[in-house]
Amino acid sequence: MKRSVLVTLLLTLCAGIAHAENVTSPIPVGIAVAQTGNIALFGQEQITGARIAENYFNKSGVNGTQIKLVSQDTGGDEAGAINAFQNLINQEKVVGIVGPTLSQQAFSADPIANRLKVPVIGPSNTAKGIPQIGEFIGRVSAPVDKVAPHALRQALKQNPRIRRVAVLYAQNDAFSVSETATFQETLKNLKLEMVTLQKFMTTDTDFTTQSTAVLSANVDLAIVSGLAADGGNLVKQMRQLGYKGIIIGGNGFNTANLFPVCGRNCEGILVAQAYSPDAHNPVNKSFVDDYRRLYKKDPSQFSAQAFTAVQVFVEGLQRVEATTKKKITQMELSVVRAELNKALRKGSFVTPLGEISLDNEGEINQKTFYVSEIKMDANGKTGKFVIVK
Amino acid sequence: MEGFLQNYGFLLVTLVQQSLLAYSLYFPLMAGQLSLASPGFYALGGYIAAIMATVEYFAPWRNALGWCIFPLEWLIAGIISGFLALLVGIPALRLRGIYLALATIAFVEILRVICLNLEITGGAIGIFGIPQLFESRWSYILTFGPLLILTLFFSYRLDRSRVGRAFKAIREDELAADAMGINPTRYKVLAFVIGAVLAGVVGAMSAPFLNTWNARQGTFDASIAYLAYVLIGGSRSMWGPLLGGALLAALPEILRPLKDARLIINGLVLVFASIYLPQGIAGAIGRIRTITARKPGSVRSPK
Amino acid sequence: MDAVQFLQNFLNGISIGSVYAIFALGYTLVFSILGIINFAHGAVFTLGAYLTYSMSVGQFGIGGLLAGCQIPFQFSFPLSLLFGAIISGVAGVLIERLAFRPLRSRGADPLLALVSSLGVALVTVNIIQYLVGSEIYSFPGDVYGDIKPAFMFHISGRIVVVRTVQVIIFAVSMLILTLLGYLINFTRIGKALQAVAENAATASLLGINVDRFILYTFFLSGFLGGMAGSLVGTSFGIAGPYFGVTYGLKGLAVMVLGGLGSIPGAVLGGMVIGLAEAFVPTEYNAYKEAVAFAFLFAVLLIRPQGLLGRSQIQKV
Repeated sequence: MKRSVLVTLLLTLCAGIAHAENVTSPIPVGIAVAQTGNIALFGQEQITGARIAENYFNKSGVNGTQIKLVSQDTGGDEAGAINAFQNLINQEKVVGIVGPTLSQQAFSADPIANRLKVPVIGPSNTAKGIPQIGEFIGRVSAPVDKVAPHALRQALKQNPRIRRVAVLYAQNDAFSVSETATFQETLKNLKLEMVTLQKFMTTDTDFTTQSTAVLSANVDLAIVSGLAADGGNLVKQMRQLGYKGIIIGGNGFNTANLFPVCGRNCEGILVAQAYSPDAHNPVNKSFVDDYRRLYKKDPSQFSAQAFTAVQVFVEGLQRVEATTKKKITQMELSVVRAELNKALRKGSFVTPLGEISLDNEGEINQKTFYVSEIKMDANGKTGKFVIVK
Repeated sequence: MEGFLQNYGFLLVTLVQQSLLAYSLYFPLMAGQLSLASPGFYALGGYIAAIMATVEYFAPWRNALGWCIFPLEWLIAGIISGFLALLVGIPALRLRGIYLALATIAFVEILRVICLNLEITGGAIGIFGIPQLFESRWSYILTFGPLLILTLFFSYRLDRSRVGRAFKAIREDELAADAMGINPTRYKVLAFVIGAVLAGVVGAMSAPFLNTWNARQGTFDASIAYLAYVLIGGSRSMWGPLLGGALLAALPEILRPLKDARLIINGLVLVFASIYLPQGIAGAIGRIRTITARKPGSVRSPK
Repeated sequence: MDAVQFLQNFLNGISIGSVYAIFALGYTLVFSILGIINFAHGAVFTLGAYLTYSMSVGQFGIGGLLAGCQIPFQFSFPLSLLFGAIISGVAGVLIERLAFRPLRSRGADPLLALVSSLGVALVTVNIIQYLVGSEIYSFPGDVYGDIKPAFMFHISGRIVVVRTVQVIIFAVSMLILTLLGYLINFTRIGKALQAVAENAATASLLGINVDRFILYTFFLSGFLGGMAGSLVGTSFGIAGPYFGVTYGLKGLAVMVLGGLGSIPGAVLGGMVIGLAEAFVPTEYNAYKEAVAFAFLFAVLLIRPQGLLGRSQIQKV
């Protein structure tokens, strides 16, 4: 059994050594995210978003040619991401890759794609330095310092008398660490006083210590940077202990997964978002409708960004056909990859995230951000993000 | 051939790398010591290389040495790992069997939490943009390959040397070895340090190979994975870790077509291999080849 | 630290410590009989939490084979907790039959049991993920009925808070510990178990069916693991199929701290580590995860037989 697998593997190897081949039809677009392992939570949402995009854009395809989303599991580690990338690039002959899930994985796998001149769009890599990995690397996930400050301004609008602020963050989560730095920076600029700084771990489950510290510091605002499970529990415990002030949640709160964690206590949390299901544009409406029909809930930012990454590739391919006046499937793969990468960085795209474009480095320019307030339903289990104006 | 290397070059080098890590566990096991500390030294070595390759302080060194900085990184990683192993090993190796295993698990976890919190290790994000020794992943066989050959040669010589015999005597019966004038502590620490130096050097080589380094490298899961490599490859044969490391590390990639289910099958393979290959693959091959030969005795209980 | 702060930390510590205790007991029971560590115990912990969730809430999300499903029948929370633990116990028995007995009957290297039990853990965790995805599943706040989520006590102008979940966890754990203590010390089965743990060969000569008692042990171990998982799950939510891994490791530290194979030791170890974690000052919170292992390391160096262990385990 094992031998037959190996033999098939070797055969496929030998078949794949031809040079200068054309792009196959349907046009393969790769997605390499975590479908197994301890970050599969995010990867699964990304896959759902990307699949919806595949169906949506295949109604017309790239001027009639269908695309095919090829997924490879990266698992939760760096080597897995490199393997998935190699597989997509060399074996599946994809024109571009959506992925990987974590910034740490991107630092590992993106240089590989860049050397092989394959365009990559990071759907959820928010760390500093991702687009700078190389000319073929871009992202549709706005870096944290662009998003977070909006929530603070909204909180001040709700209660202009805020002076004393508690800041809490998950210090083993790369994103939360850089997000809290942005929050603290913004606090300083707004002349607000950070009276207590509390740290926790994403693996923590008991936040009584942090909660009591916040309570005794007597603050008007608490800013929490963490992931849904730990952050949600923190909010829940803080509220249960009687904290009455405003709570700002970081980007980790930006998911419906939060609702069951803190239940009724989620009510009123302010979250700055790079994506809102309520954003008005036809693509988003259709995306949200499809998502609700399939999964009976609103899409998360992870899903929306993965959708956007696929969309950017599809529209990029259309632009390549427009400029070269040739069908993608009649062009050489390496040429398509290079042209596609150029096309991605020109002009703007109207996506579920609103109007976006990529600059020459591959960094996203996003026009609109949202601040939403969580409104829980009467059952205390489900809720929604409502945009506050 | 070029396509093949581009496709599977990274995987092949990974197999060599994982086999090397299996050897880092094999050497202590030769002396009967179940040490699960390898991932810790692997992580440490990687951090040392990553820091030397990226931090401003070392910039003059890098400019002066050119590519020679890489061997220097391996050397320093090996030395520091060996030194730390000495520090940890002397008290820890008073412990036996499962106690030592648990102490080394604790060591790995403590090291991981520390690395997660230090500034110089890049906190949770880690260190990225590590300068490259080679353009393509495949070329890294030029660093891992010779190290593997060296390791194989070393274990071949060790097997036949006085030290190797002392290791085996301790594994079979520590009290008897002691009575015969072998100092068990000295040899146990030596075996532990050899494993640690190897893991540290592999880590240092792996940092540029993976482009980035962070606290997610070298965790508890990895400890048990290496143990599986050695046991399923065959802990009584110098070829065991190579066989086990290469086959088991390749397994998740071979199973890739199974998508979500691949780790389920991977787990089943571990269970069935443990049951049906009790002497490991090398043991099974050996048995087939020389059925008449003396049956290798089963490994003693770690107690 | 003043007295009020001390009281708060103490209450937090004994609540989580009691879960550590019953979880580590699962390891301890198996170790006392077979002298091996069951690395699948963390997976059983996870399994228990998911089972209890399925039976009491039963609503699944976007990932896995059961995406969007709602299990048509629900049990009350206490019943789900009990059934979840019982099924986990059965899973423990299956693990023994699949991963441990075949090795034992072949007289294989005991180290292989570590690998095969890890294999079983990998299978279990990934089957869970295959079925229900890796989303966070949380128990709704009213799972215990209409009890207030937290009680506050005012002591000299300061507040001490006890969350209801903490009380329930502590109470259930204590109940389980009492029952287990009774079972081990005052029943025939318990005495036979002790005999097997003392010396399996002698016990077998005395007419005790050792294999059957090993199965009992694995059932108890699985029961305790599943129960601990469910309790942690109700308190903090189930953070995906891998959430047992951290507890699996911590449980090892607890067991060693108390003394390998010592039942009162596991309870003491759980309490010590629970309390130690609760007393970590918040500015060093980042190092909290290392506390259990620092204890483990220190204890192994100073007193390898653990707090309550007997030194003769370390025979040559």
